[in-house]
Amino acid sequence: MDSETIERSQLFDRVQRRSMVALAVITLILGGAGLTLALTPAGAVGNPANLQWWLLPVVIAALARLLSTAGGRHFAPDSPEVKTLLQDEWRRSNLLRASRTALVVVLIGQWPLGLALGFLTHPQLTPPRIASAMAAGTIMLGVVTLVSLFLYYNRE
Amino acid sequence: VEEQLANTLKVQRAIHDLTQAELAERAGITRRSVNAIETGRMVPSVLLALKLARVLGVPVETLFALDGGSGSAPAE
Repeated sequence: MDSETIERSQLFDRVQRRSMVALAVITLILGGAGLTLALTPAGAVGNPANLQWWLLPVVIAALARLLSTAGGRHFAPDSPEVKTLLQDEWRRSNLLRASRTALVVVLIGQWPLGLALGFLTHPQLTPPRIASAMAAGTIMLGVVTLVSLFLYYNRE
Repeated sequence: VEEQLANTLKVQRAIHDLTQAELAERAGITRRSVNAIETGRMVPSVLLALKLARVLGVPVETLFALDGGSGSAPAE
Protein backbone atom coordinates (compact mmCIF):
# COMPACT_ATOMS: atom_id res chain seq x y z
CA MET A 1 0.00 0.00 0.00
CA ASP A 2 1.32 3.41 -0.95
CA SER A 3 1.26 5.17 2.41
CA GLU A 4 2.75 8.29 0.82
CA THR A 5 -0.31 8.67 -1.45
CA ILE A 6 -2.69 8.12 1.48
CA GLU A 7 -0.84 10.66 3.57
CA ARG A 8 -0.88 13.19 0.73
CA SER A 9 -4.62 12.62 0.15
CA GLN A 10 -5.41 13.24 3.81
CA LEU A 11 -3.17 16.27 3.89
CA PHE A 12 -4.85 17.70 0.82
CA ASP A 13 -8.26 17.06 2.38
CA ARG A 14 -7.22 19.18 5.37
CA VAL A 15 -5.77 21.86 3.06
CA GLN A 16 -9.02 21.96 1.12
CA ARG A 17 -11.11 22.43 4.29
CA ARG A 18 -8.73 25.13 5.47
CA SER A 19 -9.05 26.87 2.10
CA MET A 20 -12.83 26.84 2.37
CA VAL A 21 -12.67 28.48 5.79
CA ALA A 22 -10.20 31.05 4.43
CA LEU A 23 -12.57 31.76 1.52
CA ALA A 24 -15.43 32.39 3.94
CA VAL A 25 -13.28 34.71 6.07
CA ILE A 26 -11.99 36.66 3.04
CA THR A 27 -15.56 36.99 1.73
CA LEU A 28 -16.71 38.24 5.12
CA ILE A 29 -13.92 40.83 5.24
CA LEU A 30 -14.38 42.05 1.66
CA GLY A 31 -18.19 41.90 1.89
CA GLY A 32 -18.11 43.74 5.20
CA ALA A 33 -15.85 46.41 3.69
CA GLY A 34 -18.14 46.72 0.66
CA LEU A 35 -21.22 46.95 2.84
CA THR A 36 -19.61 49.56 5.10
CA LEU A 37 -18.48 51.54 2.06
CA ALA A 38 -21.99 51.55 0.63
CA LEU A 39 -23.63 52.45 3.93
CA THR A 40 -21.15 55.06 5.17
CA PRO A 41 -19.03 56.33 2.26
CA ALA A 42 -17.60 59.12 4.39
CA GLY A 43 -16.45 56.70 7.10
CA ALA A 44 -13.01 55.28 7.77
CA VAL A 45 -13.33 52.53 5.14
CA GLY A 46 -14.29 55.07 2.48
CA ASN A 47 -11.33 57.31 3.20
CA PRO A 48 -8.69 56.66 0.49
CA ALA A 49 -5.93 57.61 2.91
CA ASN A 50 -6.82 54.63 5.09
CA LEU A 51 -6.83 52.16 2.25
CA GLN A 52 -4.06 50.36 0.44
CA TRP A 53 -6.21 48.82 -2.30
CA TRP A 54 -3.14 47.86 -4.33
CA LEU A 55 -2.33 45.41 -1.53
CA LEU A 56 -5.48 43.39 -2.16
CA PRO A 57 -4.25 41.35 -5.20
CA VAL A 58 -0.92 40.78 -3.44
CA VAL A 59 -2.67 39.47 -0.32
CA ILE A 60 -4.98 37.23 -2.37
CA ALA A 61 -2.04 35.80 -4.37
CA ALA A 62 -0.03 35.20 -1.18
CA LEU A 63 -3.01 33.48 0.47
CA ALA A 64 -3.63 31.31 -2.59
CA ARG A 65 0.02 30.25 -2.59
CA LEU A 66 -0.03 29.60 1.15
CA LEU A 67 -3.23 27.56 0.97
CA SER A 68 -2.05 25.40 -1.94
CA THR A 69 1.05 24.47 0.03
CA ALA A 70 1.03 22.44 3.22
CA GLY A 71 3.97 21.09 5.15
CA GLY A 72 6.31 22.20 2.36
CA ARG A 73 4.31 20.25 -0.24
CA HIS A 74 2.69 21.85 -3.23
CA PHE A 75 -0.50 20.38 -4.65
CA ALA A 76 -0.63 20.53 -8.44
CA PRO A 77 -4.13 20.63 -9.98
CA ASP A 78 -3.44 17.44 -11.96
CA SER A 79 -2.01 15.42 -9.07
CA PRO A 80 -3.87 12.16 -8.17
CA GLU A 81 -4.97 13.35 -4.70
CA VAL A 82 -6.45 16.55 -6.13
CA LYS A 83 -8.27 14.63 -8.87
CA THR A 84 -9.59 12.08 -6.37
CA LEU A 85 -10.93 14.78 -4.10
CA LEU A 86 -12.52 16.81 -6.89
CA GLN A 87 -14.24 13.75 -8.36
CA ASP A 88 -15.30 12.37 -5.00
CA GLU A 89 -19.01 11.47 -4.93
CA TRP A 90 -19.63 12.38 -1.29
CA ARG A 91 -17.94 15.76 -1.70
CA ARG A 92 -19.85 16.55 -4.88
CA SER A 93 -23.22 15.61 -3.43
CA ASN A 94 -22.51 17.73 -0.34
CA LEU A 95 -21.46 20.67 -2.49
CA LEU A 96 -24.67 20.32 -4.50
CA ARG A 97 -26.80 20.14 -1.35
CA ALA A 98 -25.02 23.16 0.13
CA SER A 99 -25.36 25.21 -3.08
CA ARG A 100 -29.08 24.42 -3.35
CA THR A 101 -29.67 25.52 0.23
CA ALA A 102 -27.47 28.60 -0.20
CA LEU A 103 -29.52 29.61 -3.25
CA VAL A 104 -32.74 29.35 -1.24
CA VAL A 105 -31.19 31.33 1.62
CA VAL A 106 -30.00 34.05 -0.79
CA LEU A 107 -33.40 34.28 -2.47
CA ILE A 108 -35.27 34.45 0.85
CA GLY A 109 -32.66 36.87 2.22
CA GLN A 110 -33.38 39.43 -0.50
CA TRP A 111 -36.61 40.53 1.13
CA PRO A 112 -35.28 41.39 4.64
CA LEU A 113 -32.05 42.73 3.13
CA GLY A 114 -33.92 45.04 0.74
CA LEU A 115 -36.28 46.10 3.48
CA ALA A 116 -33.46 46.86 5.91
CA LEU A 117 -31.34 48.76 3.41
CA GLY A 118 -34.23 50.58 1.76
CA PHE A 119 -36.20 51.70 4.78
CA LEU A 120 -34.27 51.23 8.00
CA THR A 121 -31.08 53.11 7.16
CA HIS A 122 -30.72 56.71 8.29
CA PRO A 123 -30.16 58.89 6.34
CA GLN A 124 -31.97 57.23 3.45
CA LEU A 125 -29.56 55.70 0.93
CA THR A 126 -29.60 56.55 -2.77
CA PRO A 127 -30.74 53.72 -5.13
CA PRO A 128 -27.19 53.01 -6.49
CA ARG A 129 -25.89 52.76 -2.95
CA ILE A 130 -28.74 50.44 -1.97
CA ALA A 131 -27.92 48.27 -5.00
CA SER A 132 -24.21 48.13 -4.01
CA ALA A 133 -25.07 47.23 -0.43
CA MET A 134 -27.54 44.60 -1.61
CA ALA A 135 -24.88 43.09 -3.89
CA ALA A 136 -22.25 43.00 -1.13
CA GLY A 137 -24.74 41.58 1.37
CA THR A 138 -26.01 38.95 -1.06
CA ILE A 139 -22.54 37.74 -2.07
CA MET A 140 -21.46 37.60 1.56
CA LEU A 141 -24.60 35.72 2.61
CA GLY A 142 -24.37 33.29 -0.30
CA VAL A 143 -20.71 32.39 0.00
CA VAL A 144 -20.70 32.13 3.79
CA THR A 145 -23.84 29.96 3.76
CA LEU A 146 -22.43 27.75 1.00
CA VAL A 147 -19.08 27.22 2.72
CA SER A 148 -20.56 26.71 6.20
CA LEU A 149 -23.13 24.19 4.99
CA PHE A 150 -20.58 22.34 2.87
CA LEU A 151 -18.19 22.01 5.81
CA TYR A 152 -21.09 20.87 8.00
CA TYR A 153 -22.39 18.27 5.52
CA ASN A 154 -18.88 17.06 4.71
CA ARG A 155 -17.90 16.50 8.33
CA GLU A 156 -17.13 13.06 9.75
CA VAL B 1 -41.89 0.76 5.68
CA GLU B 2 -39.08 2.93 4.30
CA GLU B 3 -36.35 0.94 2.65
CA GLN B 4 -32.75 1.70 3.49
CA LEU B 5 -29.43 0.52 2.20
CA ALA B 6 -27.63 -1.82 4.57
CA ASN B 7 -23.96 -2.49 4.04
CA THR B 8 -21.23 -4.76 5.34
CA LEU B 9 -18.39 -2.53 4.25
CA LYS B 10 -16.89 -2.29 7.73
CA VAL B 11 -16.96 -6.07 8.16
CA GLN B 12 -15.46 -6.71 4.74
CA ARG B 13 -12.83 -4.09 5.40
CA ALA B 14 -11.90 -5.81 8.65
CA ILE B 15 -11.75 -9.20 6.90
CA HIS B 16 -9.32 -7.76 4.35
CA ASP B 17 -7.42 -5.93 7.09
CA LEU B 18 -7.78 -2.55 5.43
CA THR B 19 -8.10 0.86 7.00
CA GLN B 20 -10.64 3.35 5.68
CA ALA B 21 -7.81 5.33 4.10
CA GLU B 22 -6.37 2.24 2.38
CA LEU B 23 -9.74 1.19 0.99
CA ALA B 24 -10.38 4.76 -0.15
CA GLU B 25 -7.04 4.92 -1.92
CA ARG B 26 -7.65 1.62 -3.72
CA ALA B 27 -11.15 2.62 -4.79
CA GLY B 28 -10.08 6.12 -5.83
CA ILE B 29 -12.33 7.95 -3.38
CA THR B 30 -11.74 9.89 -0.18
CA ARG B 31 -11.68 8.45 3.33
CA ARG B 32 -14.68 10.65 4.15
CA SER B 33 -16.66 8.82 1.47
CA VAL B 34 -15.81 5.43 2.96
CA ASN B 35 -16.76 6.73 6.39
CA ALA B 36 -20.05 8.17 5.09
CA ILE B 37 -20.98 4.87 3.39
CA GLU B 38 -20.11 2.81 6.46
CA THR B 39 -22.20 5.00 8.74
CA GLY B 40 -25.12 4.94 6.32
CA ARG B 41 -25.04 8.68 5.60
CA MET B 42 -24.22 8.15 1.93
CA VAL B 43 -25.84 5.92 -0.64
CA PRO B 44 -23.14 5.24 -3.23
CA SER B 45 -23.78 5.21 -6.96
CA VAL B 46 -23.88 1.87 -8.78
CA LEU B 47 -20.45 2.63 -10.19
CA LEU B 48 -18.94 3.26 -6.78
CA ALA B 49 -20.66 0.22 -5.26
CA LEU B 50 -19.23 -1.97 -8.00
CA LYS B 51 -15.80 -0.41 -7.58
CA LEU B 52 -15.81 -1.14 -3.83
CA ALA B 53 -16.97 -4.70 -4.46
CA ARG B 54 -14.16 -5.20 -6.98
CA VAL B 55 -11.55 -3.80 -4.60
CA LEU B 56 -12.76 -6.10 -1.82
CA GLY B 57 -13.13 -9.06 -4.16
CA VAL B 58 -16.76 -9.80 -3.23
CA PRO B 59 -20.06 -9.64 -5.15
CA VAL B 60 -21.82 -6.30 -4.77
CA GLU B 61 -24.77 -8.08 -3.09
CA THR B 62 -22.43 -9.08 -0.29
CA LEU B 63 -21.66 -5.44 0.36
CA PHE B 64 -25.05 -3.81 -0.15
CA ALA B 65 -28.66 -4.86 0.21
CA LEU B 66 -32.03 -3.32 0.95
CA ASP B 67 -32.85 -3.17 4.60
CA GLY B 68 -36.52 -2.95 5.62
CA GLY B 69 -39.49 -3.29 3.29
CA SER B 70 -39.20 -6.41 1.16
CA GLY B 71 -35.39 -6.40 1.05
CA SER B 72 -32.96 -8.31 3.19
CA ALA B 73 -29.67 -7.51 4.87
CA PRO B 74 -26.51 -8.25 2.89
CA ALA B 75 -24.91 -11.64 3.35
CA GLU B 76 -21.73 -11.60 5.42
